[in-house]
Amino acid sequence: MVPHARARPARGPREGAHATLPAVTSRSEVPSSFRSSSVRPGPLALIRLGITETLSRRRLIAYLVRAGLKKSGADTLLGNLWWILDPLLQMAIYWLLVGVILGRGTYEDYPLFIFAAILPWKWLDSTVKEGVRAVTSQERLIKQIYFPKLVLPLAVSVSGVVNFAFGLVPLVALMLLVYPQRLSWWLLLIPVIGVVQLLFSTGLAILVSGANVFYRDIGNLSRHLMRFWFYLSPTLYGMDTVATIAEKHPTFGPFITAWFRLNPMTYILTAYRDVIYYGRAPDWASLLAVAGISIVILALSVLFFKRVEPSFAKVL
Amino acid sequence: MADELVAIEAENLGIRYSLRLTRKNTVKTSVVQRVRRSGDTSFWALRNVSFAVRHGESLGIIGPNGAGKSTLLQVLAGILTPSEGDVALNGHISSLLTLGVGFDEDLTGTDNIRLAGAFMGIDHKVVEEKLPGIVNYADLGEFIDAPIKTYSSGMRARLGFSIATSVEPDILLLDEVLSTGDAAFREKSKQRVGELVQEAKAIVLVTHDMNWVLEYCNRAMLIEKGHIVAEGSPADVVREHQERSAERRAAAQAAGVFSTAKPVPAKRG
Repeated sequence: MVPHARARPARGPREGAHATLPAVTSRSEVPSSFRSSSVRPGPLALIRLGITETLSRRRLIAYLVRAGLKKSGADTLLGNLWWILDPLLQMAIYWLLVGVILGRGTYEDYPLFIFAAILPWKWLDSTVKEGVRAVTSQERLIKQIYFPKLVLPLAVSVSGVVNFAFGLVPLVALMLLVYPQRLSWWLLLIPVIGVVQLLFSTGLAILVSGANVFYRDIGNLSRHLMRFWFYLSPTLYGMDTVATIAEKHPTFGPFITAWFRLNPMTYILTAYRDVIYYGRAPDWASLLAVAGISIVILALSVLFFKRVEPSFAKVL
Repeated sequence: MADELVAIEAENLGIRYSLRLTRKNTVKTSVVQRVRRSGDTSFWALRNVSFAVRHGESLGIIGPNGAGKSTLLQVLAGILTPSEGDVALNGHISSLLTLGVGFDEDLTGTDNIRLAGAFMGIDHKVVEEKLPGIVNYADLGEFIDAPIKTYSSGMRARLGFSIATSVEPDILLLDEVLSTGDAAFREKSKQRVGELVQEAKAIVLVTHDMNWVLEYCNRAMLIEKGHIVAEGSPADVVREHQERSAERRAAAQAAGVFSTAKPVPAKRG
């Protein structure tokens, strides 16, 4: 066989003009020819491949996100109003439990204090939980048609951003109606912190979505780990509370401090609270550090995902 | 030169399934297997498969159940990556290997067509252009605006077939689709495949319906246990397949007679 015949789509004499190369590329977002080989590319090539195939499938990600959003409100009476009610109800529960019943809501304007952390936490929580199922729930599709599987966790990640954006509506409403004195221009920095969180949560979503194909335990495990993580992050309390507790317990103190220092969500949630609740500048240095670490995690996750991707159709 | 018309070229293709990895592992079973190191746990679904399909050719793949036919189509569609050897495809590929499986149960037929287009990587504008044609061809009436979880299997097959054949693929991969749907749609799909063959597109068809192979394929391939057993004109290969099946049946029958002589564990009565 002539090797160069592989490089471009072959054209038969009986085919019409529509089958010429430009026509093919104009109707397709993916290369019309491909080669599938047992030779696997190296790590950098895999990451590059992951990026290019994701960029070429932007529309598919957009469609998946839209389809998901369309469905989420379809069967409920209140529809998409739930996106606004959900975080508010969650805040109400914690405020009732911690602030009223336990009487531990020592922070001024406690509802806003926890709302500033619950909103981004919901984003992380839903991204991880849906990320776990992102690949496994598309089992039939994966066995039926070729597409870059990276779009699945990425669509979950993007959906999280959309949901978070809707959550900002009750936040602003709460601030305008109940806490107008807390409004500040620093609120405009929420999207910047959001970008850091997006980098972090996308890496996690890719990682768990790939791993769950091989070990379904990840689904059960992640539910519990996410709860631990929620209570062991500055959501219902601030870092000053953590400092006081660490002082009180000389034996456990160092461990507690170390955990909160290593936990990326500490810095992300504190940054949100700085701009929303305190109306002050976030800690730029730590945000930058979290962004850097998140990029490393993201790259490693993409590498892991691309490595195991060829097995998906066999294992599922 | 004839070689420039090669649409599919497979060289020494092999697909290995690692039985250790397949089927919903839990950490426990994985650790147990790793500790026990239970021998060779891999299985070749396909081995040493080499063939070429030219543009304008229609290749029928036949063989007994579990021979590796569908696995081969999955490799051609890019769904499975070869464990050994390689495969090259020249041209735009359309594959809906199990037609009738929808893309998203909760979305309407129309939305599923759009989603299918996005999955296949077809340009958004082209999908919108083709949408009325696909809807028309599937002929689902008002159901096109209902979620596809309300569809019957025949309706799913119709929608799937309409989507798969609407993209004017250079290479069309079909798996066992032509037996679904009612008689009228079967006739319609038969006609459409005939058209695609006429349009000099390459087609690979996996089917158990020998009439299809004889009527619409100009070449056939018999696969057994992951290896190519026979290749050539449809009539010859179909005859070979029927002879071998008859032999197998006879052998199975003989074995069956033999086994009844053995004591059967007492059950019910």
